[in-house]
Amino acid sequence: MSLASFLQWLYNTPFSITMRESLWAEPIVETIHVLTLTLFLGFAVLLDMRLLGVAMKRRRMSEVLGQLNPWLFGGFAVMIVTGVLLFCADPIAFYSTTVFKVKMIMLVLAGLNVLIFNATVGRKIAEWDLSPTTPGGAKLAAVVSLVLWVFIISAGRWIAYALPPP
Amino acid sequence: MWLRSLLIAFCEWCNNSFWGHGIRNSTWLFPFVEIFHLLALGVLGGTILIVNLRLMGLRFKNEPVSELARDVRPWMLGSLAVMLLSGFLLFSTEAVKMYGNWAFRGKMLFLLAAVIYTFTVHRKVVMADQSRLAPAVRVVVAIISLLLWTGVGLGGRALGYVTTSVGSVSSLLP
Repeated sequence: MSLASFLQWLYNTPFSITMRESLWAEPIVETIHVLTLTLFLGFAVLLDMRLLGVAMKRRRMSEVLGQLNPWLFGGFAVMIVTGVLLFCADPIAFYSTTVFKVKMIMLVLAGLNVLIFNATVGRKIAEWDLSPTTPGGAKLAAVVSLVLWVFIISAGRWIAYALPPP
Repeated sequence: MWLRSLLIAFCEWCNNSFWGHGIRNSTWLFPFVEIFHLLALGVLGGTILIVNLRLMGLRFKNEPVSELARDVRPWMLGSLAVMLLSGFLLFSTEAVKMYGNWAFRGKMLFLLAAVIYTFTVHRKVVMADQSRLAPAVRVVVAIISLLLWTGVGLGGRALGYVTTSVGSVSSLLP
């Protein structure tokens, strides 16, 4: 099945039709998507600030990670689920915009950033756990994360303007 | 009523201000300011959430509440400032219309309550010696804070969907 025919198939599923035509479905899912930013983005920024060594300096890095991560991943899961639901409402229109594709690529990059951090500086966390000045690798991961999220969120907002009018 | 005329006069002043005009007549300025509003929402929400989760004993249990609150305070105040400023700019593009929007009115009332609550009751409990407070008090104080701020957020989402206006404000438009 080609991508175009998959999007067309998705567009015609009863679920997609309900999302599109229901008065309440989209506003509710969109509200959850946007308000979960307070959890997801807020905690991601706190974590990045600790990685940069500018906030929560006296707290162990491993403790900050351990305390924030479960909620951060929970928030991320909610964002993904609600994001997919919003996409289902009109997959063809979403996919037709460049900004949507750019957002998806940046999401993958943000995921890679986490994986690279965990495989490198994150593995040797015991060495700098209590140090208020963090290693360069940690700072780099934080800056990459912050920049990517700023652009991902901007792109998300931009999709609403880029979508063809209904 | 004097309050009504004062508010309408204020809305008209915002509407006619150079920034109101400028953002309204630009294609990219409105989304640009909106993105700052959204980014600051994340930071503000995150700092409020983490302090309340600590108050409820759900996160950072080994740290005193006051210390965590002090750590995130600059970020909370900074993001609140960005939210208020960007929010005011967005409001100025259609201030008179917003005056009649019930969701906007609700949002402003929740915002007023949330800000007052955060800097009085909430702050006092956060900074207090925790051994002298019953856990139930902390949980209730945290939940009220979360409810008030959620009200602000929901009002913000709703005001874009509301098209009907309260009263006959539209008749005041030139």
